[in-house]
This record gives sequence, structure tokens and C-alpha cells, in this order.
Amino acid sequence: MQLSLQQLVPIPLREKVLAHESQVWNKDIALQNGYTFIQAPSGTGKTTLIHILYGIRTDFTGRVAWGGQQINDLSAAALAALRTTEISVVFQDMRLFPDLTTWENLEIKRSLAGNIAEDEVIDWLAQLGIADKKDSLAATLSYGEQQRVAIIRSLLQPFKWLLLDEPFSHLDKANTAKAIILIDNIVKRNKASMLIADLDANEHFSYTQKLVL
Amino acid sequence: MAGITRESILRKLLLQRHKSSRLWAALLALCIGTTLLLLSVMIWWNFSELLSGHGDNDSLGSTFLTISKRVTDDKMGKPELTIFGLGDIAALRTAPQVQDVGVLTSSRFHVYATISVSMGFGTDMFLEAAPDRFIDKIPSGWQWHQGDNDVPIIISNEFLSLYNYGFAMSAGLPQLSASSIQSLTFTLKVGEGDRQDRYRAHVVGFSDRIASVLVPDSFIAYGNRYYGMGAISMPTRLIVKARDPSDKQFVSYLQQHDYTTNAEQLRWNKLRSVVTVVTAATGILSILLLSIGALVFILFIELTIARAQQSITLLLQLGYAPRYLSSFMVKRFFPMLLGTVMVAGIVASGVQYIAAIKSRSLNLSLPHLPGWPVWAALAISTLLLFILVARAIARAIR
Repeated sequence: MQLSLQQLVPIPLREKVLAHESQVWNKDIALQNGYTFIQAPSGTGKTTLIHILYGIRTDFTGRVAWGGQQINDLSAAALAALRTTEISVVFQDMRLFPDLTTWENLEIKRSLAGNIAEDEVIDWLAQLGIADKKDSLAATLSYGEQQRVAIIRSLLQPFKWLLLDEPFSHLDKANTAKAIILIDNIVKRNKASMLIADLDANEHFSYTQKLVL
Repeated sequence: MAGITRESILRKLLLQRHKSSRLWAALLALCIGTTLLLLSVMIWWNFSELLSGHGDNDSLGSTFLTISKRVTDDKMGKPELTIFGLGDIAALRTAPQVQDVGVLTSSRFHVYATISVSMGFGTDMFLEAAPDRFIDKIPSGWQWHQGDNDVPIIISNEFLSLYNYGFAMSAGLPQLSASSIQSLTFTLKVGEGDRQDRYRAHVVGFSDRIASVLVPDSFIAYGNRYYGMGAISMPTRLIVKARDPSDKQFVSYLQQHDYTTNAEQLRWNKLRSVVTVVTAATGILSILLLSIGALVFILFIELTIARAQQSITLLLQLGYAPRYLSSFMVKRFFPMLLGTVMVAGIVASGVQYIAAIKSRSLNLSLPHLPGWPVWAALAISTLLLFILVARAIARAIR
């Protein structure tokens, strides 16, 4: 599924994003299948871009289309279907339910699509070193633990694109490496594409495309 | 993991932040409003049934009036002036509030009745016939065919009272109950000279509507033809079924034509007017209370959703469809609504049952279950509540 952007400019950041040269904002681009890295220094609208692509923000000019379908034209039901079977996301601010346990945070997503078995989720928790946090409230987890839960949650559905907004910002090198392996495996299993937006250049994955925001 | 389901998690996220005391208050208001609505419809329906003379309600045939032309000093000695012509009857049929007009046909032959030899009571009398549809309750055996020796009679309850409390007391005769009168056999000596016969007569029923001694139409028709020598009997009294005899236009019509009627019946209809006003006031109050109950309930739901707004936003971002979340909330609140209206329906049914039992002792007949307007009011109010709640939920979850 191709992601195409045409003259995309976020309205609240219009002056700011047009003040410097960007390979994304106000350009016509088509993101090819594969791993895309978007390097986005602070204040260039990285999170805004992820939110626009995921359909959370609609305050932009230009066009965003997933597989030829404009995201602004989608009904609430179509958007929900897109988010359940086509696109998944790891938010920069994790967005877990603080009053739910780790397991409940995962189960509320897993039960929606139902394509991942419970045992596999337990296995992934173990892979990322948070199996013992299964019954802990999300509010009591450290940022690093929350980030790992958010990563696992994003993998609990079928998807064609995985959007990641600074996915390893709270993780040390060892945990980052474990998360990279898990993400890479599941993206490949889904035959999906991935878009990572981060502050600095990195070589976490074999990127097919690199852009500067 | 056992015990953790999507439903249980959604309940935790969406429904745990509400105050149950507010929910109970809203449900109580809804329940009281619905119950009052049903009761007001029930009161209105029961009185309509009683006052329109449906069923076995002999005592409240209040929409039936006997009408005659007033006998004034000028009309004395001129019986033709108190007779109703065909034109009078046709005009009366189109008068305001009038639903039906029947003719009271009186006997044009001599009748002498004796109760029994032992009591030694006999009197000249007259008989009348009314169309069957105007009789309070058709008693069994209410028929006469030429050649029958037994004649059924319906007498006015007023006559029974007059006899028991007036005549019997002053003449030293025994007072008679309704059942004892029905067990008596009268002898009717009908006609004069060559054309004279004796009939056995029984009182088979009592009437509140018609102050007369009634026999079947067929007996009067035969009697007038045979004993009355074919005398044409033009009516002097009519029986009228009126929707609301206390209506000013109807009363004014009677006055304009100098017709008189039984004022007692009008009194019943004034009672009906009072009942209508009371029912309407209760109805308005109940609708008001129901609206307030519905408003409080809907506000409670909106407040619950507002408190869970952050969770709802995140659930939508995770891929939950608004329709799914709305339906989850609807499934949670609809059983409460259903329970509330069911309680109201049960209370109304209980009240109707008690009213039916109590009314028996007043010789009135009410059904043991509420009538269809009560169920219609329940269905409509429930449907409206469901629609309002479903719309409020769908509006709040977008």
C-alpha cells in the first residue's frame, strides 16, 4: 500500500515548516514499500506528521492518501478499519491507559483484530524483558517499560504500515536492540512497510529511504 | 488470561467513574414518571370504560339520557304536543354530542299486574320497550315470541328504591331485595273485553339508564297490534346516547327545544369532566416528570461519557469504531431502562388488579389487566426513551 503526500503543510506550523528546506513538507512524494526513515530535528513537526498520517490531526493543507484513498475523506468507521488492519502506530508519548495493567493494555488491542495468540504476547513480553510487569498498572511503569508495552501493542494487529514516533527514546542500547529484532520480525511477517521518525540519524534498520523533515 | 475480556476492560475504562447514587436517582425519577404516566392513562381509560357503559357496568350508564318534551301549562290536555315526530328524532340525531337515538315505545293497551295472591297487591301499570342496544346489560331470557306465556321485565333501580324506602315503609309491606324480586312471579292481565290474556312475568334485570318498566320490543309490538287494536304509538320519550351530555352546546340544544332529561345522568357526566381534568393534570405532570427523569438519565450518561472521554479518544485511536463503543454503552444502559419501564408496567398492572377487585364491591366491572392504551403509552414512552438515549450516546461518542 503506497503512502503519497501532496503539498502537505500543517496549518499551525505553516510559517515554521516553510521557513526551511524539507524533503517532506510542501512536497509531492510517494513513500515506497520498505523501511523509511525520517530525520526530524526538534520543532520540525515530526509528531505532527505522524498524527496526520494516522488520521488524528486534520488541520493541514495538501493531500495524504493511503493506497489512493484520501485520509480526510474516510468515515469514522473506515478510519477505524484502517487503524485495525492497515496501519499501526507507536506514539511518542506511548498513550497507554494508566488505570489498566500491562496485560489489559495489550489485551484491549489484541482482542480487536484477534490475529495474535495470547502465548505469543507473553513471549514478546519476555523478549523485551517486561514479563514480570504483566499485572502492573501502566501508571506505575517506568517510561522505558511503557515504551516497550507501546511497541508490543502496535504489533498486536495485522498491518501494512507501521508508524513509529521516536520509538526507542526511553530505551537503553540493549533494550533497543531487543525491540528492533522484535519489530523487524513482525513487520517482515506482515510483509509490511515501516516509517520511523526520529531526531537523529541511526542505522537501527536497513532503511530503503531516508528523508529530512 | 482468564477473566480478562474486552468487555471487562471496556467496563473498567468507560463505566467505573460514574456515581451510582446519581444513576439510581435518575432511574427512580424515570420509574416514577413512567408509572404516573401509566396510571393517568389507566384512570382515564377505566373511567371511559365505566362511563361509556362498556362491559357489565350497569350503574354508570351515564351517557344515556331519556328525553321527553316538557309538559307545561299550555300543553296540558294536548298529548300530541309531547309526541316526538320523525323530524324531531332526525334533528336530535345530528345534535351536538349525540351518538345514537332510540325510541321508547309505550304500551297502548291496558295492563293490570298482581304480584301474588298471598300478598294481595295489584296495580294498573304501563309497559315500555327500548331497543336492546340501549339496555344496560341484556339479561338472560330477555326475549319474547308470540305465543310465549312468560314475559321478562326489566325495572328501573329507582322504582325498587321508591318501593323499598317509600311505598313499603308507608304501607307496611315487606322490603324486597333485588334477588327476591327476581324470584317473584307477577301476573299480567293484558287487554280488555274479548281480547284479554294473562301472562306470567318475571323481573330479570334492573336498569339505571331508563326509568321505566321495560319488556322486549316484540311484546310491545304484538300487544299494541293485538290488544291496542292497531293503535299507532308515537314516542313521547326518547333514549339518547351522548358523548358528553354535560357539553354546553348539548344542554343548550335541549333547552332550545324545551326537552327535559334526567339530571342525575348529567351529574355523572360532570364527574367525568372532573375526572378528565384530573387525568389530564396527572398526565401533564407525569409527562413533565418523565421528561425530567429522561433528561437526568441522559445527562448522567453524557457525564459518564465525558468522564471517560480520554479513554474513548484513545480507544478510537487504537482502532475502535465509534459505533462499537456506542453499542457497548447502549447495551449497558438499555437493560436499566427496560427494567425501569418493566417496574412501572408491573406497578400499573398491580394497581389495575386492585382496582378491579375493589370495583367489584361497587358492582362495577373493570378488567384485571390494564387496557391497550396503557400498554400503548408504555410502548411509546419506552421507544422514545430508547431513541433519546441511543441518540445521546451516539452524539457523545464521535
